[in-house]
Amino acid sequence: MQINLLDRVRLGIAVFVAKTITATIRTFKLGAASVLPGTIAKRLHPQILAMLSQQIKHGVIIVAGTNGKTTTSLLLRDILEKDGWKVVHNEAGANLVNGLITTLLEKTSLTGKLKADFGILEVDENVIPLVIPQLKPKYVIALNLFRDQLDRYGEVDTITYRWGKAIAELDCDTILVTNGDDPALAYLGQQLAKGDKPKQVKYFGLSEPELYLDEIPHAVDSIYCPSCGTALEYKGVYLSHQGDFDCPKCDFTKSKLSIDSKEWPQVLIGVYNKYNTLAAVTTMESIGISKPIILNAISDFQAAFGRSEEVMYKGKKVRILLTKNPASMNETIRAVSQVNQAGSESVSLMLLNDRTPDGTDVSWIWDVDTEKFVNAGGTIVVSGDRVYDMALRLEYSKINLNSGANIIVKEDLKEAIDTAIELTAPNQILHIIPTYSAMLDVREILTGKKIL
Amino acid sequence: MTLELKIGWLYPALMSTYGDRGNVIALQQRAQWRGINVEVIPFDVNSHPDSIHQIDVMAGGGAQDRQQEIVMRDLAGAKAEAIKAKLEAGAPGVFTCGSPQLLGRFYEPGLGERIEGMGIIDLESKHPGIDVPRCTGNVVFEITAKRLAAELTELLGGQKPIIVGFENHGGRTYLGPNAEALGTVIKGFGNNATDGTEGAFYRNAIATYSHGPLIPKNPFIADWMIKTALQDKYQTEINLAPLDDSLADRARAAMLKRLEISE
Repeated sequence: MQINLLDRVRLGIAVFVAKTITATIRTFKLGAASVLPGTIAKRLHPQILAMLSQQIKHGVIIVAGTNGKTTTSLLLRDILEKDGWKVVHNEAGANLVNGLITTLLEKTSLTGKLKADFGILEVDENVIPLVIPQLKPKYVIALNLFRDQLDRYGEVDTITYRWGKAIAELDCDTILVTNGDDPALAYLGQQLAKGDKPKQVKYFGLSEPELYLDEIPHAVDSIYCPSCGTALEYKGVYLSHQGDFDCPKCDFTKSKLSIDSKEWPQVLIGVYNKYNTLAAVTTMESIGISKPIILNAISDFQAAFGRSEEVMYKGKKVRILLTKNPASMNETIRAVSQVNQAGSESVSLMLLNDRTPDGTDVSWIWDVDTEKFVNAGGTIVVSGDRVYDMALRLEYSKINLNSGANIIVKEDLKEAIDTAIELTAPNQILHIIPTYSAMLDVREILTGKKIL
Repeated sequence: MTLELKIGWLYPALMSTYGDRGNVIALQQRAQWRGINVEVIPFDVNSHPDSIHQIDVMAGGGAQDRQQEIVMRDLAGAKAEAIKAKLEAGAPGVFTCGSPQLLGRFYEPGLGERIEGMGIIDLESKHPGIDVPRCTGNVVFEITAKRLAAELTELLGGQKPIIVGFENHGGRTYLGPNAEALGTVIKGFGNNATDGTEGAFYRNAIATYSHGPLIPKNPFIADWMIKTALQDKYQTEINLAPLDDSLADRARAAMLKRLEISE
């Protein structure tokens, strides 16, 4: 990319100022400096995101979706690094515009030069249309779309439409890796594969009917044909609205998957992480990374913070499973139930907060199918800002008032953790299921370190 | 004699956006835990209009715009008449989130054309434009609809019926001269963020912007609905066995404390 002299000077000033701010914040231990430097650099040079990202040799990979962005990005990074590439990645999860700029600035020299082979950027659903024209990504990964908290996001339909519009403007060599089991995202792929500027589209998904759910969860969003609005027919559902679908009325149906899920192991636990793995593998194979390297990265994979992360606390093994919305809570408790089947007395700790990053409306817990989880027994300790709302949801899941899990309510988080740890048998894992801000709090207590 | 309660759930797949199912779960469980036989009957695109006759209580929630359109198309005519007749006959109902808009005369969305409602309650709803902020947040209001307030106060042993919930709506609702407000806002926006009213009460139908899990935290609503429906069905005085509602009490107390409201 050609950069004229004036732009270069402005870019130099922006980079210099931003880097000074980062150094200052860190020297005085004022925080992680994951957003502010970008905010200021953008003031000094509005095109900074484009100017930095276009220096990345083989281009940017955007990771988008309601759930799974952080885990998928981390796996992509591991694979590329194992193959010897230099990667720039917003690992702290700052996925709004200023966070993306800050990430790129980290790897930029004082003269404004950014040396990296690939950029892996997880991007917030709503920010995608805004940053795509600037980042001009070579790859866009569309993981899934679930109903998130209404007070943060618009409706699922609107989001898909806006993504499609932004991606359509990109060059024809752009590769879209999309979830073929998700009707709205499969349709997005099919639409983008035709038109004036057809894109290359790869579909990932499952081909393992033995993993079908017994019934479609209550919290599903898009069971209607994105083309004609008729209710879709499902041969089986793997997760939320993702599965083997077909429209009984028009010609909309599943596209052929680019990957056979049976040939690949997965990272971490849960069907949702199967999807994350397949998205990363499909992308990496289309870049040309060899299978042994990918397999090696999968088997060595270490969870991102709070995403099925395992830590030791007071001699007990603890697994932290971040949950953000009905779809992720459904899948998390499904994964925990599968682990628990092997053991006897299971203990879980559920934490519900209602701060801005969690969503201030906690009504969504009533869309989660908690019944099986509660009636399987064991102990569930509950805490968080909205401890009583969570406890009520669990109480109302009981078939009989005197059966099901033993629900223990603790307003104080520290006390809740200690109670849960004490009740966990030495050979058992304590599963902690927190919303975002609760995850940060619980992690700080367990590891003694603050991450953000 | 084992009592039976049939809960009609309006369009469960299309109209259950933000935890609205919580009301159905709470109604069902509070009846079941007391040994009442409960059946939840979906009333949706596959239902015959006459199937509404068997229903004792009704619950409806909110929808995304596209889903709401499908519902309105399906409701036009016989099904709307069936619901109207049922509510006119005094069946208790709880309508949350977008549902009150359906019960009114019309809704004018921020984009697109006016959606005609069922015209059961004298109210109209308008979206002030997509750039105007939504009414979002924790909401507290006192039920003031005369007969309902009196009956709930009696159920609560003399306590005022205060509702603790969450609202999130772009549309503003305005009550006509023939509609009675459900309550008066203590904290939050209510119907239109200006006149201090919240929701509407008509016959035995409760319409409110306080969405989905209204009943779990305000369980006296469920008990009133169950009692009212069963008394009408069996034509005898029904006294429901008390349940342990300490969790709901503590959930309410925690929110009232946070909002600095004394009960």
